[in-house]
Amino acid sequence: MTPVPGSPDPAKMLAEAPFVEVSVDGLVPGGMIEPESAAEAAAVLAEGARHRFACAPIGGGTKLALGNPPERLDVALSTRRLGGIIDYVPTDLVLSVGGGTKIGDVRAVLAEHGQGLPIDAPDDATIGGLIATALAGPRRLGYGTLRDLLIGITVAHPGRITHAGGMVVKNVSGFDLPRVYHGSLGTLGVVVSANFKVLPLPRHETTLLVACDGLTEALAAARRVRGSRLRPTALEVTNSGGAWGMAVRLEGRPDTLEAAAEEIQRLDEGDVWTLEGGESAAWWRDYFAAQDLRLGQDEALLRASVRLRDSAELAEGALAALPGLGFNLPLVAVSPALGTLVVKVRTEAADPATALARGLDLLGALADYASVLSAPVAWKRGFDVWGKTPDTLDLMRSLKHEFDPARVLNPGRFVGFI
Amino acid sequence: MDRAALIDKLRDICGEGGVFHTPSDLMVYEYDGGVDGAVETGRPVAVTLPTTTEQVAAIVKLAHAAGIPVTARGAGTGLSGGAITEEGGIIVALTRMDRIVEVDREDRTALVEPGVINLELSEATGPQGMFFAPDPSSQKACTIGGNVAENSGGPHCLKYGVTTNHILGLEVVLPDGRVVWTGGRASGAPGYDLTGALVGSEGMLGIVTKALVKLTPNPEAILVQLAAFPDIDSASQATSKIIAAGIIPAALEMMDNLCIQAVEPQYHAGYPMDAGAVLLVETDGSAEEVRAVGEEIAAICRECGATEVRIATEQGERDRLWKGRKMVLAAMGRLSPNYYLHDTVVPRSQLPATVARVAEISADSGLPIANVFHAGDGNLHPLMLFDRRKPGDTERMLEAGKEIIKFCVSVGGALSGEHGIGTEKRDYMTLVYTAEDLAAMAGLKNAFDPGGRFNPGKLFPKGYVCGEVRALRAQAIAQKHGIYAW
Ligand SMILES: Cc1cc2nc3c(=O)[nH]c(=O)nc-3n(C[C@H](O)[C@H](O)[C@H](O)COP(=O)(O)OP(=O)(O)OC[C@H]3O[C@@H](n4cnc5c(N)ncnc54)[C@H](O)[C@@H]3O)c2cc1C
Ligand SMILES: Cc1cc2nc3c(=O)[nH]c(=O)nc-3n(C[C@H](O)[C@H](O)[C@H](O)COP(=O)(O)OP(=O)(O)OC[C@H]3O[C@@H](n4cnc5c(N)ncnc54)[C@H](O)[C@@H]3O)c2cc1C
Repeated sequence: MTPVPGSPDPAKMLAEAPFVEVSVDGLVPGGMIEPESAAEAAAVLAEGARHRFACAPIGGGTKLALGNPPERLDVALSTRRLGGIIDYVPTDLVLSVGGGTKIGDVRAVLAEHGQGLPIDAPDDATIGGLIATALAGPRRLGYGTLRDLLIGITVAHPGRITHAGGMVVKNVSGFDLPRVYHGSLGTLGVVVSANFKVLPLPRHETTLLVACDGLTEALAAARRVRGSRLRPTALEVTNSGGAWGMAVRLEGRPDTLEAAAEEIQRLDEGDVWTLEGGESAAWWRDYFAAQDLRLGQDEALLRASVRLRDSAELAEGALAALPGLGFNLPLVAVSPALGTLVVKVRTEAADPATALARGLDLLGALADYASVLSAPVAWKRGFDVWGKTPDTLDLMRSLKHEFDPARVLNPGRFVGFI
Repeated sequence: MDRAALIDKLRDICGEGGVFHTPSDLMVYEYDGGVDGAVETGRPVAVTLPTTTEQVAAIVKLAHAAGIPVTARGAGTGLSGGAITEEGGIIVALTRMDRIVEVDREDRTALVEPGVINLELSEATGPQGMFFAPDPSSQKACTIGGNVAENSGGPHCLKYGVTTNHILGLEVVLPDGRVVWTGGRASGAPGYDLTGALVGSEGMLGIVTKALVKLTPNPEAILVQLAAFPDIDSASQATSKIIAAGIIPAALEMMDNLCIQAVEPQYHAGYPMDAGAVLLVETDGSAEEVRAVGEEIAAICRECGATEVRIATEQGERDRLWKGRKMVLAAMGRLSPNYYLHDTVVPRSQLPATVARVAEISADSGLPIANVFHAGDGNLHPLMLFDRRKPGDTERMLEAGKEIIKFCVSVGGALSGEHGIGTEKRDYMTLVYTAEDLAAMAGLKNAFDPGGRFNPGKLFPKGYVCGEVRALRAQAIAQKHGIYAW
């Protein structure tokens, strides 16, 4: 690794790490370190490997509930000082930012040039956290995920710093490691910086909210939209206060959107509300905020996914069966064009851990994949929150071993308790 | 195991007609689309043509037991030497595994065997209103397995993304002969993105035996525009302005005067012979949208000095405009006995400077270099003309290629935008990557293929042995940091 002149001694940094009040699924680290550079982060992780410390990278701290409870935790590694825009070339539509940069700050800078990163995320989520968690919201339909926009990355591992990809939008120079780090939950390294392909902001957006009689009707309406010539950037079946509906987000040129909106009104008889521009964006922010992983003490958030054509069966099956396990469902969000279901479950059961494990099994039986996104730590016992173990787990273990053999980074949190 | 015994066993697996081993049969497999001299050639001990996943797995297990390396091969159109084995390796050619297993209209997916030809997939799904978006210029010949292994691109990747954006899941045979699936029909497969790791891995991590691919709905309307410019600079400026206006066309291709001179007399695409450069811009979407965007693009081109802007909406006319672009290589083939098609990427704003540097390199080397590029994403394909029979020409061509790469890297570019590294560019890897970066790639290789059995000799600088390098790095890091185990 590249030593940085005058960089503090990692052992000293660890010894002097101030205590802070963060808890990762109930475990409180002995201290928090805020490295200022990739080299410092790598050195701290190397110390971790040497002394068998466990380290949790922390970005905005908005998604720490994701994953199995950590097996161990000694130090929190905050990416706060790894923030900032490193390079932004609007004419090339490329951006390089520190891993600790908040997405809200990134959006503000890009917006000045009429550009953006089209992903749903709360403003305080960091770039590193977004890459690590790989959670995608409704706009995945129109724009894909960060995976599709990530063109380069710098990562600190125990004792070394590595780069992959670059600052160009098309690149096949060597293995595609950015894809490997995306969604690896910080178990292979700390994202120090990342490069993205950015996109022009759409000139306008319109959202249509269509009232439907029930879940089945809403799913049918969504299916009609998906089968039409329209290309919505988000298409959701929603439930608010027991009333079912469909939400369609259209982004593009004002004249085209108008024609598209009219077409949707023709497809459906139900009541339609139209939201334009900022109102539309705000509606989606609120919609998405309802799925925040920071929950109450009697709640958990689960996600299940299937091939698209089975979306209706999944949603109907889950809604019919989950209440039988003693769950209320304060939130149900179906993305029929993505094949995903997110449900918030609430229970006062005496043994919520068992209830949650059964709920996950039930979703697992209905879906290809099911996982618990967030739950009180007391509920996350005795099962893998990531659901059924993939049969490539041994490959994944080998991969982990190559990058973090001493299991310093988020030990136990990821799939199969990696 | 001696050679005869090996061939017998391979025949037991693949059948009599499924194994090639005579010198004349093997000869074509010593090459791929890459230029001799730029890529390394090697003669396989045998070429196998399995028809099932089980046969692939059995071949891999046999090779494993015999300690022989294995190289997967599709159509052999690769340009970086990827499908060529080291001397004495076994080639697994997937061309007989060419079934489209299933097309799902509602899910917009297709499950295909790796030997399916790129264009044939889009032709098969077209009537159902969908196509496979990655469209390499070689799409009439190249296979989906090859596309996956090279993470191939094409003109329409500007809007639709490259191969990795269209692969949902893969069935692969691992180096130990085990068959696994990564990814799948549903999103959110738990764990590391192994599908993402396999795409672009140049046959070094696994042999793809099935691919589940995403299909894209056919656009409602398509508009193709041809804009002629006095020079590359003005055409580049128009490119930047189109993008800056918030327009992402489906394709945005540029050709310089040398290309026009070669193409026009032969194919009559309608490119003005005196233009310094032409831009080919394709827009797709709804009919209203395409019309409005097309007008904006035309205005921008004129503003940047376009001397002529032509518009085609009907299929026949669109095809004619595209024909010139698609036939560049064929046309060049007639101008010169040999050509070398290079592939590098620079930030889009660096295109004019890069083209200027390429012109200098051309003058210095005395070799004509034509430029055709995917201008929208800064991916250039300098096309060098040379004559292998002339002493020194090959060396000058290789030297010129190196200079181009060095320049591209110096302005923040990459070694390859779509053709991959293979043996062609492996020794340039250290121009863009540190020893640590390469060690991380070696780590990925080790996780899949600790014995280095699949496609050895590719991607890493010559002489680089992943296992050894990993061990050395680990040792160095452990010593430096006193890590107890690595
Ligand atoms: C159903 C659902 C859908 C969502 N959809 C989207 C979406 O579409 N788009 C979107 O942007 N967000 C979405 N989110 C939220 C998003 O995932 C989080 O906002 C974000 O990832 C958390 O960032 P953070 O900085 O708060 O991370 P933290 O909460 O601090 O950390 C989260 C995890 O990432 C690790 N980590 C953090 N920083 C790093 C780093 N630099 N290097 C390595 N590992 C690190 C941590 O160790 C931890 O395990 C969604 C959430 C849910 C529940
Ligand atoms: C005229 C011409 C134009 C071209 N234009 C483009 C272009 O526009 N864009 C572009 O990206 N490329 C282009 N190429 C390069 C080439 O066509 C692509 O790389 C293509 O994807 C290779 O496919 P193939 O089936 O020929 O693979 P091969 O050449 O047979 O193999 C390529 C690599 O893939 C591996 N491989 C093949 N099949 C499998 C499998 N089933 N599992 C694992 N690994 C496998 C091989 O080991 C090798 O490393 C062009 C080539 C030519 C000759």
